[in-house]
Parts: sequence; structure tokens; C-alpha cells
Amino acid sequence: MELIIQRIQTGSTKTLKLKGILDISTSSIIEPYLEELDSIERLIFDFSELEFIDSTGIGSIMNAIYLSKEKNFKLAFHGVDEMTHQVFETVGLYHILEEIHKEDI
Amino acid sequence: MYFDNFTFHFDQGTPENELEKSLQREINLARNIQTALLNGKTPKVEGGQVSGNSLPARLIGGDYYDFYPLVNGKIRIVIGDVMGKGIPAAMLMILTRGAFRSAAESTQGPGETLTAMNQAIYEDLRTLKSFVTLFCADWDPKSGTFTYSNAGHHLPLCIRGKSNTIEELPKVKGIMVGGLPNQIYHEKSIQLEDLDMVFFYTDGIIEAQNKEGELYQITRLKETLLQCKEKDVKEVEKAVIDTINHFTSGVPQKDDITMVLLKVFDSKADITSFNSPIY
Repeated sequence: MELIIQRIQTGSTKTLKLKGILDISTSSIIEPYLEELDSIERLIFDFSELEFIDSTGIGSIMNAIYLSKEKNFKLAFHGVDEMTHQVFETVGLYHILEEIHKEDI
Repeated sequence: MYFDNFTFHFDQGTPENELEKSLQREINLARNIQTALLNGKTPKVEGGQVSGNSLPARLIGGDYYDFYPLVNGKIRIVIGDVMGKGIPAAMLMILTRGAFRSAAESTQGPGETLTAMNQAIYEDLRTLKSFVTLFCADWDPKSGTFTYSNAGHHLPLCIRGKSNTIEELPKVKGIMVGGLPNQIYHEKSIQLEDLDMVFFYTDGIIEAQNKEGELYQITRLKETLLQCKEKDVKEVEKAVIDTINHFTSGVPQKDDITMVLLKVFDSKADITSFNSPIY
């Protein structure tokens, strides 16, 4: 299984649409996309075609959260299915995102 | 080179294989170290039985469990899952173990233990862009109270021995260790009764896949636990592993699989039976 990332830029908003599996075998694919996140105001992860995410994949999303703080852009998750939502909720990913950006206020 | 699930074997004979042989020795030693630390002595608990088992997907893994007997007769239990797999995860598992052992000694409850652990290893985990999910609990055999705290881990299942029901423990919020600094982990408690069993697990169990790509899922786990709830902890462990193996039927294990069991017995009844004269 693999991960295909589609990049869509609309003004200062960048969308990364993830298709397939984000796990230990594919997480390195997302890294270059995260490195080029300069001069944007908003990043959207579109998970609507994501089939599976493991802890390494969650680590990649965590990196994007910390990057959003460092590079001062907003981050949003779209198309999160019930299973992924449960995983994000359990590990505390939503809470981390909220806390990281609360510090900006 | 081939791998037989226990040891890496490298082709031998040529001088250029010296480095590989050395690597083989080191990997196997690392595995031995992890196995010895992970599968240490399981403590005997008054009024109950505890047991743990971990099956790494690779030679070594990033799952972790531990028992820490406390001076007041309680036992502190922890289960965790380090981000990733293999040697990098195993190194961080050892870091986590050290933090748990040190925190368990100096903290009053599972919430404080997780708070101290996050305080101790947060910076290291952030530097390494990693995290660990942990669930920690104290079992008090005298009062029957099971007090727990959670850092982003799956909540254990509680199998009620007398009513033939199974339930997830009531939710207690808490994020993964390594996610944010200065976290306070809260606690909840439930009352355990005779023949109740608590099953702690990592996601390698419910995410085990068969040939069709289907997941084992919590439904199958619950069915298995209900079917064997009257068995002792080692037999329950075996039953869970057997049903996973039956379900996956040869598909290689993708993630580390770890479980911890606590089964409660009426200690007073046990003591009476031990003291009864043998005719």
C-alpha cells in the first residue's frame, strides 16, 4: 500500500489531500511537503481518502502542528472518518492543536 | 540474511561479513536486553492475579508494560505504546521504562506518575519528534478499588465476572506523553469485585489484519474475552493470541502486540481454602 499526496494551493491556503495509508512505511513521503510550508496562512489536511493511520503517521501530523506554530499558519483537518477521529481524540491530537494555537492569543 | 522471528541470521564465512556479524550480535543482544527487562518477574498480588505479554512485530518493539508493587500492598500497572516500531521505538521504550520506575517510586497515584513521566521525558520526546501513549493504574486488593489515569492510550476493558458483561472503563482525558509540557493527568476509580478482570492492550491487537485486509477489531476481542472469562490470566492471554493467529492466518504481524491482565479473586475465600485442613 502506498500514500499519494495531492497538493492544492488556493491563495494563501494550501491543502494536502492524503490518499492511501499514512504509516511507518509511507510517513517519509509527507516530510518534503511539510518542509515547503512557507508563506502560507492556512494548511488543510484532507483525510477523506485516507484509509489507515498508525502512530508514526500521527507523529507526522504532530510535526505539522508544531510547524504551524513555528511558521505561524493555521491548521485544519477535513474529511476525518470516525475511526481516525477516534484515534485523534484518544491520543489527544485535537487538544494539542488547540493548546498550541491558544498560546498565540 | 534471514529472520526467523527470534533472531537475525547472516551469511557467514567472508571477511566482509565481520561487520554484519557484529551487527547481528548487537541486535540480538539488544533484543535480549529488551526481553529481559520487559518480561521480568511478574509479582504475586494478594487477592488477584496479574500477567503481561508482549509480541514485537519486528525483532524488538516499542510496546511496554510493567508492574510496580507499592509498599501499601497496592500494585501499580502501566502499559504503553511508543510511536513507531523496531530499534528506534525500542530505545524510547527503555527511556519510558526508566521514567516509570523512577516516577512510580516517588508519586502517590497513577495520575501523578504520568504527570511526572511527562515532565521527565517531554523534552527528549519532542527533540526526537516522538511520543508515547500510556495507561497507568493502581489496584488496591484490600478495598477493591482500581484507580487509573490515561495519557492517550486505549482504555482497558473490564469484564464483569458475575454478570457476563464487558465494558470500557469510564473515560478519563489525558494526552500522550511528549505532546505538551506541564500536563496534569487526572484519575478515576472503579470498584472491582470477585472474578472481575481488567484487560489492558495496545492497538496491535485490534489492528491485526487478515488476508482480506480486515481488522481484528474490538468486537472480536470482546467476544474472545467473554468466552474465556472463567480461565486464569495465562489461559486468557493464550486464547487472545490464538484467536488473533486464527484470524490473521499467516499474514505477518504489522504492529507490536501487548496485553496485561488483572483478575480479581476473593482473597478471603482463597486464604480460607489455603488454611483448610487437607483430608
